[in-house]
Amino acid sequence: MTALLSRGVPFVLGRNGMKSLQINGRAHQFAPAEMPATLCALLEKLGIGAATVVAEVDGRIVTPEQFAQTEVRDGQTIELIKFMGGG
Amino acid sequence: MDRLVIAGREFDSRLLVGTGKFASPQVMAQALAACGAEIVTVALRRVDIGNPQDDTLREIDRHRFLLLPNTSGARNAEEAVRLARLARAATNINWVKLEVTPDPYYLLPDPIETLKAAEILVKEGFVVLPYINADPILAKRLQEAGTATVMPLGSPIGSNQGLKTRAALEIIIEQSSVPVVVDAGLGLPSHAAEAMEIGADAVLINTAIATAADPCEMAIAFKLAVEAGRRAYLAGPRAPADRAEASSPLTGFLRD
Repeated sequence: MTALLSRGVPFVLGRNGMKSLQINGRAHQFAPAEMPATLCALLEKLGIGAATVVAEVDGRIVTPEQFAQTEVRDGQTIELIKFMGGG
Repeated sequence: MDRLVIAGREFDSRLLVGTGKFASPQVMAQALAACGAEIVTVALRRVDIGNPQDDTLREIDRHRFLLLPNTSGARNAEEAVRLARLARAATNINWVKLEVTPDPYYLLPDPIETLKAAEILVKEGFVVLPYINADPILAKRLQEAGTATVMPLGSPIGSNQGLKTRAALEIIIEQSSVPVVVDAGLGLPSHAAEAMEIGADAVLINTAIATAADPCEMAIAFKLAVEAGRRAYLAGPRAPADRAEASSPLTGFLRD
């Protein structure tokens, strides 16, 4: 809840043929068959409703309308961000 | 009451409310409805991957309220600009409450980084509402950079100390050609009324409402205080005097 945005830590290559994504500062491993192809698929896998989220992929902003067309690739750093209560 | 105009947009309410620290989305929605606020601030944070469905803002009717994303958490201009761009991408809202607070203890805004970020964001078409210390020169510089308001603090965020910066606020209000929104530190309706009485155009309240035992009642109390303060300001209050000035006639006494 209070985690702030920060540039992702340097990516460490997945071992044993696993694919890896750095999501919100933490490494997530996926078996090649399980690796989501698009940002849309990734959000679905994580159980995140796309409507309230904006993303950054390797520092580039991706709006919800672009999620379905945005490919996700091994080694990318992804930030998933939403609005929270704040003053 | 006269209307508040920010960047050409008119508002009936001069009370802006922050959405942090409420016990539940329902309590927040009730408080927002009760106080008639039209502008509500929100923060941008990472999605909690372990609890992705958490949506504290689901109760906010976006047709009724203008969401004002803040850049809280930014420690420098670069981080603030990044957050503002993300906020705009998420909602198509180009309004941003710019805050750059590198010091976590007092959360005082960094004037140099705030001005730097404001200059960039104004050029990118943002409507910028910068949170600043009560510094009249900085307020002028931001105004010259094209910000839509200035938002000087009364005292540190969430401190409930009231208008510790009153003398500087009076100078800012006197000199400003954009709306002055007193933000931060207002703990009681009387603090809000005082800010409005000295000519502030609006106030922003979060902690004092959200953490009250009854947020809804406190929201109403702030609404009334803001209205009272604004009306008093428009009514032209008289300056304090050193000596008494009789209210009753000084002739016709039953003596002599």
